[in-house]
Amino acid sequence: MSERAGPLRALSANSALPALVLLVLMFAIYASRDPSALTSFGLGNLVNNALVLAVAAAGLTLVVLSGELDLSGSGVVAIANVVVATTSTGPIGSLGALAAALLVGALVGAVNGCLVTVFGLQSLAVTIGSLIVCQGVALMILGAPGGEVADAIASGVTGDVHGFPIAAIILIGLAAAWLALKNTRQGIALYAVGDDATAARLSGLDVRRTRFFAFTAAGVLYALAGYLFSAEIASGDPRVSDAFLLNMFASVAIGGTSLMGGRGGVIGALIGAGILTVMQKMLFALGVAEFYTNIFNGVIMVAAIFFGQIGALLLGLNRPRAA
Amino acid sequence: MTEQAEPTGRPATPQMPPAGSRPRLLSSELAPAALVFAATAALILGLKLMIPGFGSLQQLTAIMVTAIFLVVASFGQGLVILTGGIDLSIGTVMGIGGMIVANLTRGSDAALLYALPIALLCCAGVGVINGLGVALARLPPFIMTLSSATAFFGVALGMTAGSSQQSVAPALQRFVAGHWAGVPLPILFIVVFALAAALFQNRSAAGRQIYAMGSNPRAAAIVGLPVAALTVTVYGLSGLCSGVSGILLAGYSSSATLDMGAALLMPTIAAVVIGGARVTGGAGLYVGTLAGALFLSALSTAITALSFSQGLRSVIQGAVIIVALLLQSRRADRTAS
Repeated sequence: MSERAGPLRALSANSALPALVLLVLMFAIYASRDPSALTSFGLGNLVNNALVLAVAAAGLTLVVLSGELDLSGSGVVAIANVVVATTSTGPIGSLGALAAALLVGALVGAVNGCLVTVFGLQSLAVTIGSLIVCQGVALMILGAPGGEVADAIASGVTGDVHGFPIAAIILIGLAAAWLALKNTRQGIALYAVGDDATAARLSGLDVRRTRFFAFTAAGVLYALAGYLFSAEIASGDPRVSDAFLLNMFASVAIGGTSLMGGRGGVIGALIGAGILTVMQKMLFALGVAEFYTNIFNGVIMVAAIFFGQIGALLLGLNRPRAA
Repeated sequence: MTEQAEPTGRPATPQMPPAGSRPRLLSSELAPAALVFAATAALILGLKLMIPGFGSLQQLTAIMVTAIFLVVASFGQGLVILTGGIDLSIGTVMGIGGMIVANLTRGSDAALLYALPIALLCCAGVGVINGLGVALARLPPFIMTLSSATAFFGVALGMTAGSSQQSVAPALQRFVAGHWAGVPLPILFIVVFALAAALFQNRSAAGRQIYAMGSNPRAAAIVGLPVAALTVTVYGLSGLCSGVSGILLAGYSSSATLDMGAALLMPTIAAVVIGGARVTGGAGLYVGTLAGALFLSALSTAITALSFSQGLRSVIQGAVIIVALLLQSRRADRTAS
């Protein structure tokens, strides 16, 4: 990491910058069609809509940075959601429900991490397996949409403090936690392992421990996303759509994180989630039929990754890897 | 994505048994297939013991007949996985194939003449687009196929509103329910399809090239294999197989919905993995995938017979994938040592 190596290098170091420009651009189009977007209510609504995806994408970013993939995210969100919907009005209360959800998330993440690091299984295939298991478990806990979410949770997440939305406070907290983690030994290890696992091992980093940490932390964040999702919809739904999974990956990729690992960061994923949320609102404001957002989602995903790769290639960052 | 260096460093070359190792009854590649066939038989026998009424000839035939969708679709998935990729668009493409045929035939047999080619062409087209994205734009396969599935689902939803109001051509329904010399037509179809698939994958020149490309793409390019063309062909075939499977499914259920294939996507991956194919590409026989598909079909019947919930069904399916991966990695460790 050289500090003064020209503007191109600086741009690549801040890989979330193009995403931020895109976010501002889309928001401008949206706001020009729908002026209510600029009111504090409109802004709060937007942040609340982006919250769940942003938190889940932040979790996925940790795994992707470490050079692995994790498809179990939407499954964990589903489990956390039904856990909250079935327990939060019971004796354990809303805090107990949060603890239970986070525990389940940590457990799923730890199992994924264990299967990938200890048994050396390919992360994509393993997490497809755990995704299906999680979806099944969610259906077993709650067979059909329903359940009840404690009012304290719903109002606690979607409310505001002196006019400032709580969702924004959660996101700022998440960003702050990431910036703190990024410069710790663990954070540096995450980048190093994802960039070149062999080199990281040779320089004394524990590759397995780093990846195990990434999977477990991701599981916790997915569960937190599921908890927040419960607050947003104020009920339980065991089926979280596959589109959510795609949106998680899209947020990560649009935010400038390389799916090959080692480059990017959580801030980018938060911006990516913001872009996808604003895009849906923008398309709606422009009068595009709702199902066509699927098409935009697919195209923007492919475009984000494609241009990310071109950008990396132009900057000479795409070092050839062993096949 | 899967071309990424694997830190544990499995050998990329096809694993040959070292000279002088003790002779085996079965080659190491055939062993998983045999194991899965045995497991399928054990599963059916076990059910016969647990449920007195189970195991009639009709029930066994029904298992075979419902396996047809998975047998066809998992051939395409197997080819894609052989190249080190994965196809997450199979469920959507199945829905598209079924919907096109249902909407074009509207219950008339004559319309099948043009409905079938159009449907198959569209499905193969989605596959070709996937292949182009993977081969030329170098997008990670799971991203490319997941994105195209989402996008084309949107296109199809916009054009059809999600489900067909028309019933499928009766000829198609007769084919799925029909018999020839006492044998259900779908079973004959499976036999012919499996033979053709096995010949293509394990006996043809193109099949051998796909193996070479999957086990080491760089070396394949250096020795002059048409890597891009092969990749597009493989994804195109996967789209085509999904289309065939979706059309058969529409015939079986006599109508079509856009999301009817969704439940079959994960089983196609499971069938390939259970059959012993390496998820990073380059290894696995079609007979293994066939065994995996039959096993999953039997398992699905068993779950229904034991009246397990939909949730438990998913849990079992996911667990089967993970267990198969674990068994596979132990096998790889043994051959490597």
